[in-house]
Amino acid sequence: MKSLTIRNLSKTYFDLYAGTNHTAIHDVSLEVAEGDFVAVVGPSGCGKSTILNMIAGFIPLSGGEILVGGRPVKGPGPDRGVVFQSFALFPWKTVLENVAFGPKMRGVGKAEREAIAREYLALAKLTEAANRYPNELSGGMQQRVGVVRALANNPDVLLMDEPFASVDAQTRMTLQEELTRIWQEKRPTVLFITHDVGEAVFLANRVVVLSKGRVLDDIGIDLPRPRSWDALNEDADFKALSNRVLQLVRSA
Amino acid sequence: MRSRQRFLSGLLFLLPFAVLLVLWAVLVPWFDVNPRLFPRLSAVAEAGVESVRDGTLVGHIGASLLRVLVGTVLALVVAVPLGIAMGVSPVVSIFLTPLFRFFSVLAGIAWIPIATLWFGYGFGAITFVIFNAVFFIVTYNTLLGVSTIPPAVRNAAASLGAGRWAMLTEVLLPGALPNIVTGIRTGLGFAWRGLIAAEMIATNVGLGYMLFVARDFYRTEVIVLGMIVIGVLWLLLDRLLLAPLERATIERWGMVQRA
Ligand SMILES: Nc1ncnc2c1ncn2[C@@H]1O[C@H](COP(=O)(O)OP(=O)(O)OP(=O)(O)O)[C@@H](O)[C@H]1O
Ligand SMILES: [Mg+2]
Repeated sequence: MKSLTIRNLSKTYFDLYAGTNHTAIHDVSLEVAEGDFVAVVGPSGCGKSTILNMIAGFIPLSGGEILVGGRPVKGPGPDRGVVFQSFALFPWKTVLENVAFGPKMRGVGKAEREAIAREYLALAKLTEAANRYPNELSGGMQQRVGVVRALANNPDVLLMDEPFASVDAQTRMTLQEELTRIWQEKRPTVLFITHDVGEAVFLANRVVVLSKGRVLDDIGIDLPRPRSWDALNEDADFKALSNRVLQLVRSA
Repeated sequence: MRSRQRFLSGLLFLLPFAVLLVLWAVLVPWFDVNPRLFPRLSAVAEAGVESVRDGTLVGHIGASLLRVLVGTVLALVVAVPLGIAMGVSPVVSIFLTPLFRFFSVLAGIAWIPIATLWFGYGFGAITFVIFNAVFFIVTYNTLLGVSTIPPAVRNAAASLGAGRWAMLTEVLLPGALPNIVTGIRTGLGFAWRGLIAAEMIATNVGLGYMLFVARDFYRTEVIVLGMIVIGVLWLLLDRLLLAPLERATIERWGMVQRA
């Protein structure tokens, strides 16, 4: 695990049709300490995915720098694990092979990488599904595979872009609880993107509110762990924090 | 249960052919059709037995299948890597797609005249026709297959540490495989028709040649025998090899729902 540092990041898209430039990110700076869990919230179109895609190395930066463990990143790499909203599993690989993919790329032998994959599958209660193909799983199960596939590669930073947005509300709550549990066990450095304020407050140690490509505020979440929806749903602190963040997002 | 179902569907598939054979066996003698226009079933059966016994049929089949095999393998060896290389770059793919679509439509028969000009009569010209029938369609389908892989899936592989080679073997190739197999199936269909046509013109052995020569001697029973063999061979190839292969990749991975 390493820290993630973003300094004066900016991104300007060129709009091919209008023939004009559009600046989606203006001068964003952000520090995620080693082993910390930071959520980024903001209304649709405020630039959340743009930031994550630059950190992941999927799109080039227009300005500023991104450092992982103090070193600048260049292109996609296994030091930054990504969990996608669309799951992005390999449909031609079994669940086990999907999770073992990262270790395989590192040259880990078959027996060892399958042992690693099984360990992570157990962590996400997916042991039974090991030999099935992604299209045979429910959306919630597929996303759990997506999460542990990224974790099994032991990345320095875990990047998640609205990973639970496309599953039903009940499943989402379960996945959120599982994620907090897994995070406490493995303590990866996480940057979690969402437009769901409750989700951000429930999961994170810090919530960063983004507005029109700028950081609006940065709020510490000192709720005790382990966190569960049963405990927090009626919790006064949780409600107060959620309300505060919600006000910021709505003013954004 | 499953094998019983397959047996039944096989039976249903064969039933119309059985009816056709019965009609043929009854009607042709009934109307006393001139054998120079259409043969009796018994004459075709005799011709079949005879050509198997003297080895000519096996010779023709062997020659035809060998050409298909060589042409197809050569085409695949070039088409799949080329299609992938093209599919990886959106710009190249957008530029070349219309061309490959155009040549896919031309598949097979239309290449025969120019093939005989370039390669003379014989193995080269016919293999070239088959090569083209398979090559353009498979290249086009490979390109299509690669470009239908969601960018997020490629990004996921890159974020898990896949280099160029792993991206090719672990993502692009398997991701495009259902399309590739579909391309092979379509391409071979064209190749098979092209083969028969080309063999009528450009050679002295093979199933197409067998038909063409029989015509000169009014041997309708040999012509019909050849037609049956051509059809049956294709059905066997398609039903026993290509269709199951296509089904296996597409259904297993659920690529149809995904696309
Ligand atoms: N490839 C692109 N080309 C041009 N403009 C883009 C591109 N991608 C995003 N944008 C623009 O940049 C801005 C930020 O987009 P981004 O996808 O980062 O928003 P977001 O916060 O992730 O929104 P959502 O919550 O809807 O996912 C938007 O105005 C969007 O239209
Ligand atoms: Mg987004």
